[in-house]
Amino acid sequence: MTAPVEAPVEAPVEVAQPIGEEEAVADRMWVVIVWNDPVNLMSYVVYVFQKLFGYSKAKATELMHKVHYEGKAVVSAGTLEKCEADVSRLHAHGLWATMQQD
Amino acid sequence: MLHRLPDELQVTYDASEGEVFERLFPRAYLDPTEEEAEREWQALVHPDLLAQRLANLDAVRATFERFEGSGELREATLVDEEPDAWLAMLNDARLALGTRLGVTEETDLETASPDHADAGSYAVYGWLTFIEGELVEALLE
Repeated sequence: MTAPVEAPVEAPVEVAQPIGEEEAVADRMWVVIVWNDPVNLMSYVVYVFQKLFGYSKAKATELMHKVHYEGKAVVSAGTLEKCEADVSRLHAHGLWATMQQD
Repeated sequence: MLHRLPDELQVTYDASEGEVFERLFPRAYLDPTEEEAEREWQALVHPDLLAQRLANLDAVRATFERFEGSGELREATLVDEEPDAWLAMLNDARLALGTRLGVTEETDLETASPDHADAGSYAVYGWLTFIEGELVEALLE
């Protein structure tokens, strides 16, 4: 994070500013990653992405291809709570998803 | 054979460890520094995931009552939440069986030879794959 500096300077200066722990946690962005696996059908993965996230068929297919050919893809992002809910729903549909800080 | 799946899956769901359990109830946090978050998450979420899966099995069992016809070919129409319950059950059955068989991307279901000790299981897996594929296509329309 960039803190405001007292004196005018030519270039922006990054200063480490202590912030409250709660604020730090709330500000962090998390991402949800879906991993490739040898069992799930490509069509099923597309269906789940559309169903859970409201993605268009094109977007869901694109994400599925990323999972399949690159081994994983970020499928959603947000707060800790949102990502935990997304991971839980993905697991309920038999997809393997994990979450990590952005 | 399909009518046995809910009971077989129920037994599978009862497990609390093993590779099938780990596949059906996988980790949410890969980061080893997040072990506590992972434990808390599992404690919070596992009962719900299990309850959802058991509810799906009940929904599928209820549809068995409606199957009409006799012999090999029976039909029923799935409505409301039933298609998704069937889909979840078929997918879980494939996950459990696929994990036990050690199915990989390279596994060719067609060429598992009849002499192979697991040939029967591969045949079931292939058949479940076909049925699930058909159901997904119908739902994607």
